[in-house]
Amino acid sequence: MNVALTLLWKDLVTEWRSRDRIVAMTVFSFLIVIVFQFAFPEMEQEELTRLTPGLLWVTYVFAAVIGLGRTFATELENEAMTALALAPGTRGWIFLGKATATWLLITLVQVLTALVFALFFRVDLSVGLGGSLAIVAFANVAICSIGTLLSAMSVRSRFREVLLPVLLIPTLIPVLAAAVRGTASSLAGESVGLGLLQPLVVIGGIYLVLSFLLFDYVLDE
Amino acid sequence: MSPIRLRGEGVEKRYGRVAALRGIDFDVAAGESVAILGANGAGKSSLLKILAGLSRPSSGTFEARDESPSGEALGREALRARVGYVGHATLLYGELTARENLAFAARLHGQRPSRAALDAVLAEFALADVAERRADTFSRGMAQRLAIARAVVHGPSVLLLDEPFTGLDEASGERLQARLLSQRDDGAGAVRTLVVVTHDPRRAVALADRALLVHRGDIHATPARGDDGFDAEALRERLVALASSAEAAA
Repeated sequence: MNVALTLLWKDLVTEWRSRDRIVAMTVFSFLIVIVFQFAFPEMEQEELTRLTPGLLWVTYVFAAVIGLGRTFATELENEAMTALALAPGTRGWIFLGKATATWLLITLVQVLTALVFALFFRVDLSVGLGGSLAIVAFANVAICSIGTLLSAMSVRSRFREVLLPVLLIPTLIPVLAAAVRGTASSLAGESVGLGLLQPLVVIGGIYLVLSFLLFDYVLDE
Repeated sequence: MSPIRLRGEGVEKRYGRVAALRGIDFDVAAGESVAILGANGAGKSSLLKILAGLSRPSSGTFEARDESPSGEALGREALRARVGYVGHATLLYGELTARENLAFAARLHGQRPSRAALDAVLAEFALADVAERRADTFSRGMAQRLAIARAVVHGPSVLLLDEPFTGLDEASGERLQARLLSQRDDGAGAVRTLVVVTHDPRRAVALADRALLVHRGDIHATPARGDDGFDAEALRERLVALASSAEAAA
């Protein structure tokens, strides 16, 4: 557990000093919102409410792909990945530290993106805010778990920029489907119960445990 | 901590169709200092990564054994806890300061060194004045000293170095060599096992008790201190002869 906290501390400190991932994800998300603004001009309020969950989650997922692609960038610079591989004990804790840092950064970017989206499209995202936040939190567990594993797998490949999205996006389809459905219900003012959260909890749990266990093999050369 | 013996039998390492190591046998005694010499692509780094527990042999057996009275064989996780490794690159984080890099390395090994303990390590490697400077502002020589400090901060029993003199000028190389010799003692009264990969026979003779001459995945000779062939010129000639015979065969 201490190793996970050490990795979390290191990732947040290096991110604070470089602002590498957070800037890239935020700018990219804002640009997508602007593109949507031009793609869907003068939309009816009813139609907008119907499309908002999908538009938000498309933005979130593409921004997450950008962020996850840079998750091991600092480890690449001076082959620091080798230093991580040398850490004794269960390597799953290294995964957990990296995934938690990514979860925090992605969630922060999503909150900022939602604010900008609400401003541009004049939608009220405060309706069912608690439910929406719960969906974001659980969906991000799944995204960050499988994303961190696949990012570590692809980082040593020459084709990493292409490989990560090609591997990641198919694994996120069930997450995306459940998150869009849950967000739509939440924005419609319905309560987000276990029925809506259950798929996200199950998928997130499976991805989390699998990634924790498989990370040992990913760090081997 | 007690020293560690590293032994391999028929160790083979393949990357796809390419064989980096072709069934080699080796035995590095506890507390021994060994240099691995060879041309580029000879298999030196592959061997070092197996010794570090970073890589598994494709076939054959590799064993690390604690030379304490219990004499237990160490698993890969236990071995990694006892190894200090310096690779081709520095393994440092440029955004972290020298002190933060050392603290991070120690914590990865389950230790929480005090500020005074980190200061002592920084002073030992002449980095006390730059403790709060980010590693990405360091010169090559300073970064290499910090890389070695990072490798020994957790008090390992085995120190593995992959071409630590690369990119250093002559004076910096000499100073680094002196520091490496001083690192033979693990600070707890035991002698560290040291394995250094190098192209330079001069450094090999200065640092090691024995040399392994590796060529195309095989160990061709293991001259030791006191043998006729254990001097820089003789080692250089043997390396050139190996390279020439390979060219002739091709």
